[in-house]
Amino acid sequence: MGAQMANRITFGSISARVVLACVVIFAVFPVVWTLLNSFKEVVDIVTPTPKLFFTPTLENFRYVFERPSVRLGLSNSGIIVFSAVALGALFGIPAAYALAHMKSRVGDEIKFFVLSLRFLPPVAVAIPLMSIYLDLGLYDTRLSLTMTYVLLTLSTIIWLSIPAFERVPQNIEEAARLDGYGPYAIFFLVALPVAGPSLFGAIIFSFILVWNEFLIALMLTTSEAKTLPIVASEFTLLGRNVPWGILNASVIVLSIPPLIFLGVLSGFLNRMFKK
Amino acid sequence: MKAKSHINKVFLGPPLFVLAVLALVPTIAAIIISFQNKELGRRGTSFVGFENYINLFSDRRFSNAMKVSLQWEAITVIGTMIVAILVAILLFETTRGRTRAIISTLLIVPVLLPRVTAAFVWKFMFNPLLGVINYPIKELTGAPIEFLSNIQTALISVAVVDIWQWGLFFAVILLKLLETLPKEPFEAARIDKARTWEIYAYVAIPMLAAPLISLTFVKMVESLRSFDLIYVMTRGGPGIVTETLDMYAFNQGFVESGRISYASAMAVLMLLTTIITFTVLFKWVRKWQTA
Amino acid sequence: MLKTSISTVGGLLIATSLSTAAVAAVCTDDLKILAQPRGSLTLLEERAAEFEALSGVSFTIDFLNENDRRAKSRAEASTTGRYNVYYIDEANVALFAENEWIVPLEKHFPSEFHLDDFDPSRLTVGSYEGDLYFAPIQGGGDFLYYRKDLLDAAGITPPTTLDELKVAIKALHDPENNVYGFALRGGRGSGANVWRWMTYFRGFGGEWFDGDTPTFNSEAAIKATETYLELFQYSPPGTSTGSWTEVTEAFNSGQVALIVESSPLAGLTEDASSSAVAGKVGYTVPPRPLTGGGYGHGLAIGAKANRDEAALDCAGLFIGWATSQDQEMQRLEQGIFGDLNRQSVFASDEFAAKYSGNIATALEETAEFTTVNFWPNADWPDLGDRWGIILEELIVGSRSDIPEALNELEDYANDLIARR
Repeated sequence: MGAQMANRITFGSISARVVLACVVIFAVFPVVWTLLNSFKEVVDIVTPTPKLFFTPTLENFRYVFERPSVRLGLSNSGIIVFSAVALGALFGIPAAYALAHMKSRVGDEIKFFVLSLRFLPPVAVAIPLMSIYLDLGLYDTRLSLTMTYVLLTLSTIIWLSIPAFERVPQNIEEAARLDGYGPYAIFFLVALPVAGPSLFGAIIFSFILVWNEFLIALMLTTSEAKTLPIVASEFTLLGRNVPWGILNASVIVLSIPPLIFLGVLSGFLNRMFKK
Repeated sequence: MKAKSHINKVFLGPPLFVLAVLALVPTIAAIIISFQNKELGRRGTSFVGFENYINLFSDRRFSNAMKVSLQWEAITVIGTMIVAILVAILLFETTRGRTRAIISTLLIVPVLLPRVTAAFVWKFMFNPLLGVINYPIKELTGAPIEFLSNIQTALISVAVVDIWQWGLFFAVILLKLLETLPKEPFEAARIDKARTWEIYAYVAIPMLAAPLISLTFVKMVESLRSFDLIYVMTRGGPGIVTETLDMYAFNQGFVESGRISYASAMAVLMLLTTIITFTVLFKWVRKWQTA
Repeated sequence: MLKTSISTVGGLLIATSLSTAAVAAVCTDDLKILAQPRGSLTLLEERAAEFEALSGVSFTIDFLNENDRRAKSRAEASTTGRYNVYYIDEANVALFAENEWIVPLEKHFPSEFHLDDFDPSRLTVGSYEGDLYFAPIQGGGDFLYYRKDLLDAAGITPPTTLDELKVAIKALHDPENNVYGFALRGGRGSGANVWRWMTYFRGFGGEWFDGDTPTFNSEAAIKATETYLELFQYSPPGTSTGSWTEVTEAFNSGQVALIVESSPLAGLTEDASSSAVAGKVGYTVPPRPLTGGGYGHGLAIGAKANRDEAALDCAGLFIGWATSQDQEMQRLEQGIFGDLNRQSVFASDEFAAKYSGNIATALEETAEFTTVNFWPNADWPDLGDRWGIILEELIVGSRSDIPEALNELEDYANDLIARR
């Protein structure tokens, strides 16, 4: 299959372009289609032939934003995700800086420990935590979900920030030391500003990770601390006399925050993989 | 030197402590609970030894879930890597400059979407009555394909969504890696009149072997997180053909019967399997890459 | 004279404001309700201001689909219990009552809303061990719905027995022209595929338990399952993992000739704005020996969230208002036929004007065949859901050995009993 495709690329740049166009359509069409549907009335969705042109309505979004459950989910998600990311950055960035400078076996082991946290199946974390939080009376609270999410943000930020600090040229830090800067001054005044943009990328990455998180929130919340993905999933699974336009609108609302940072992440990738 | 070790302690101490607590507490709790008979909404808990583990081995849904999880890993990891390689080469060969940058940005849109969104978007497109995918199928054959309720197509259909998210994302990463390769070997191969596919198969891909293996490893770890897609799209159905381990543990621990202990035993087995497998794999990859 | 009348008016005003105050004092906090989507509950949301005037507080309803509502209300009630009012049904009232997640309703249900006006069978369904737990939102039995136009064209009379039904289904099944003979629920769930399957199981004489001994692993269950699978061949696409939504949509879009379903479908079918078959459908009792699945859903007072008597009364006030005669008349006006439960509403001129003839007769006749098909026990949801998954596997064809499937369920049932 690879061979065929490569041959077509060589012998017909037109067919290659067609394939490329198909790939781009494959990537973005589902999102565009959902966006269109979110502005449709039900009659324009339940048609035998899919409709590209229609009179748009904001009714679906109005309904979604007026639901108390969506508002609660939005504020829960905002508070929980912001706190977890802030704590993750506060603890994680210094840790990454220290680890980037540790060229020992201990350093490697710590790095592996941090990475290995990603091997934990979420369900294996959520089930025991559910039982613990129930016993502590912390079940279905923003506090308990935030604490759990710190595990995700902290390990992700550490892991992604190490390369950012490793790329800070050693001679800059050396020069600062010769100028009489102490180790903390070097971190705050030299390393942090230089690595800044990549660190921002790492923080955004962890933000998206927890904003999108589903399974843990599903198991650790039931009503008061429900996050937006849970609320949106409840919408999408409603079932009876399905209000399709509203369902489409609810997932669009959920997806806006991660998509805002598309540019930041694209730049982050460019820096990560530059020689 | 002393100052440096001081800063290391300050910078590393608290975060490692936090991580250790957050990771070890649930792990130890999972092990303890798995030896009990704890149930949601039922009072009184006692230790039952290995009963939950013994029961797991005669539970056909558990063995089914292991099989489905392995299938899922295989399909999504292989599918993602194939899509990533093909799309990266296609982009590398046919685009330049701005066009390439714009397309690259578009290709990372799917992976940024919450999986709940991705799952719904595709579930809606697969819908036998209203779905855009089924529209041409209905026009041609007269009958829709029930992608998500057919035992042959359900798992693959969900996997398509995973590959849509990760395959295109990895394609962008691979493209960036291709850009970092030196030009000379390509030109040398071209002078030897190698075909395009030969250049990639024999020159570019081997040069990228190390990062490709790392990416495969990352995908194997990320494929463990299939729950959101399956929860929204099939709930493990039709029957139990898409019921992965995390779905089954969730069903047992939360939905069907609230058997926390039984689900914990499953969680402990999953934990052991993934930690051992990935640690061994990781060390192996490391050794292989540094050798 | 003038003076007197002013003082009388003043007195009236004081009396009115006092009585409002007395009611308003009942509620101090906004109410949280966990429910599944129903037309009648959406109607409540539209009239929220009315409840606010009555009680001084507002309410929010969290909606989940039926299966999730069952699963999550159970998980929620057994852990945090933060909802003031739960949407409960015939199948989990035993579970909720036995665990004391809900409290008996009668004491907290304001008398001005007349509990005794509800159809007695609905109140029976909502009771457990002699206490009433929920006020009905919907309920009923089963109808055989048939497409008069299709049956007439083929010269078939409405089937009265299962054998006749099978003949009619085969004769009318014409998928080439987008007409399927029958429609069944295939998707998992004690209230989904199992709900319909039970009407065959019980019709063939099956029994769930004798005391603590499972007796369902019988000829009746095998025959019921075989029949169910046989009839599934004539069920339209989307129903093998679908439930109420999928089968009723298929029927209302004109793809199905015959269907046995719960009585609220009649209201949807006759609503020309959402149904393509309005006016073309006949209603009768389920063919013998099928039993009608008697069911009821309603609102119950949460035990944990309502900490004191006043809070319990407030939840009771909400339920009274939400199930009042006034609400039901509104439902009737909007054509929400499925959510009518009061005798005074069924007896009203408005009802007679809207649902005359066929439906009304069928409603009366079907009561005779309506029974409790499930196992009325706190463990029923657990057992029913397990059978739902196994049955779904049989329907989609990922397993085929029926006796083996029933053995598996019997093991599960024994295990359930043993763990009590």
